Amino acid sequence: MRVIVHDLGEQYNALLKNKCDELICADGKYAPCQGCFGCWTKTPEKCFIKDMLREACRVIGNADELILITQNCYGAYSPAVKNILDRSIGLSTPLSTYRAKQMHHTLRYGKHELLSVIAYGDITEAEKATFELMVQRNAVNFGFIKSKFHWSDDIEKLEEIL
Amino acid sequence: MKTVMINASPKKKMSVSSYFLFLQRLFVGGKVIKEKLRNKGDHKRLLETVSEADSIVFCLPLYVDGVPSHVLMFLKELEQYCRENSLDLNVYVISNGGFIEGNQNRVLMQVFENFCNRSGINWCGGIGIGGGVMLNVMRIMFFIYFGIFLLNIISGSSLQDALIYLAKQWGIILFFNIGVLFYNIGMGTAISRGRRFGVKFTRAMMPSFLFIIVADIFFILISIFKGGIFRGWLKGSSKKSL
Repeated sequence: MRVIVHDLGEQYNALLKNKCDELICADGKYAPCQGCFGCWTKTPEKCFIKDMLREACRVIGNADELILITQNCYGAYSPAVKNILDRSIGLSTPLSTYRAKQMHHTLRYGKHELLSVIAYGDITEAEKATFELMVQRNAVNFGFIKSKFHWSDDIEKLEEIL
Repeated sequence: MKTVMINASPKKKMSVSSYFLFLQRLFVGGKVIKEKLRNKGDHKRLLETVSEADSIVFCLPLYVDGVPSHVLMFLKELEQYCRENSLDLNVYVISNGGFIEGNQNRVLMQVFENFCNRSGINWCGGIGIGGGVMLNVMRIMFFIYFGIFLLNIISGSSLQDALIYLAKQWGIILFFNIGVLFYNIGMGTAISRGRRFGVKFTRAMMPSFLFIIVADIFFILISIFKGGIFRGWLKGSSKKSL
């Protein structure tokens, strides 16, 4: 399954819908993670907050290929996209193991193929380096075998990248 | 020197960040204001507080290798505010992750450095802590051992014996915190003098294989208590849409 998460606004939904099996528009109309671990310890795979991200970990967790399209924010995802990742930690279990020689949680849905991140907007060299490191780390954390990071100064070229 | 210490955990009480902020506070001189950043409602008040400060200390949890989304949201507003008002601020960060390796906080520190560069304020470094949750849970042990100390005295044991027992138990707990405390002292001095500290990583003083066993037992107990263990605890369902 190919999943796309983007913060480009609803006007891009039609274009992106053809490129994937499941599309999540990061419009920010949802609450941030409260750090309660309830999606591990109380109601597995489910957040206690009843909004559109309540079961987001099932979509992200079942993705073979996950594509995140995000505005650059200091070498990290935009708050709206990061919010979705923060609310998706139910894709791992509360138990721990070693992955890439460091401690990580075991994966509820097993390994995934590819994490691609496409960042747009003004970016510095330092921010690019931070972003690349973060994408590699996220891939290990979420259990993706491969990861790619693109930066594009022109989001209109999106179709070519996809 | 006026320092604003911001607890940016979304939790209302007993957050790991509040514990590390408490420890750091012990070593910071001058005027200190403690603040909370839990949601958008805190932004306006925080910007006003920060505008009169010399330094900010952010204390926050690590979420998915980075800064939690509600904090990123605030940083964007703070960037604009700093540039509009040409603020001159020193920024320090204490971040804590559940995983044992302190250097898993590296990306978070870089994001804060990038934020400072864009905002025209001074990145002064921070402490990245691994295994923070365990140190936070252990703080309860300070009170439990103090309770046992009092019981010992009431039940007639000598003050000297009771004190030795208390010192021993507290010493053991402090040992696990020793890396954090060491850097708290260093960073506290840097904050008080308005100097750069640099980025340091530390952890709960325990080998990682042992920490993983302790963390697993912790989550098994919590999951039994909260009931998740009986509700498809490790299973993944195949529902694939929101």
